Amino acid sequence: MPANPELKQKVEEVLQENRVLLFMKGTPEQPQCGFSMRVVGVLEQMGTEYGAIDVLPILDPLREVTAEISDWQTFPQLYVNGELVGGCDIVEEMFENGELAELFGVEQPKAAASTSQPEATPDPQQSPPLQVDGT
Amino acid sequence: MADLAEIERMIADALPGAEVEVVDETGGGDHLRAIVSAPQFEGKSRIDQHRMVRAAVQPRMDDGSIHALSIATKPLQGPRAWTR
Repeated sequence: MPANPELKQKVEEVLQENRVLLFMKGTPEQPQCGFSMRVVGVLEQMGTEYGAIDVLPILDPLREVTAEISDWQTFPQLYVNGELVGGCDIVEEMFENGELAELFGVEQPKAAASTSQPEATPDPQQSPPLQVDGT
Repeated sequence: MADLAEIERMIADALPGAEVEVVDETGGGDHLRAIVSAPQFEGKSRIDQHRMVRAAVQPRMDDGSIHALSIATKPLQGPRAWTR
């Protein structure tokens, strides 16, 4: 099924506005899925600013959009500079080997173990939920 | 419930020369992990490598045999290519 063009345009706009953007199940404060929670944990440890979008209210329409723009339908999805970097597996692997720090242009956190707790972290920018009109 | 050997074969057929291992992560037969080394990964981004693996098994995702597939990829290089 083709993606809703209006939603697709909104997604493209949000991708332009957020250098680092996470599509996730739930919110950074209350993740609703273990994989989303793990990606949030990585981003918090990186201390990078990121936007987060909760996919749950519009899961199926959003799947159709991401299928078209990045050939990927499962969430979480982390985008940097508008490009899909990957889901939980890829993000964790790139975090552990330092590629993510390089991509973000930040220093690799000293305790790059997934079990370590983040200290002070910036508040994530929570984007307003995407709406689909007329459905 | 997926047939692990069939999944391995689908990936190996799509990526000739690849080393493929598919494991059942939960024992339920539908949450799988594929560990793949393939010469085709050379020069590709991770997400592209994952797309290649996922595309190979897409029919089994579409028909519901695989509920979740986690993927680990690495380029196949050097002596490892000769271990089979």
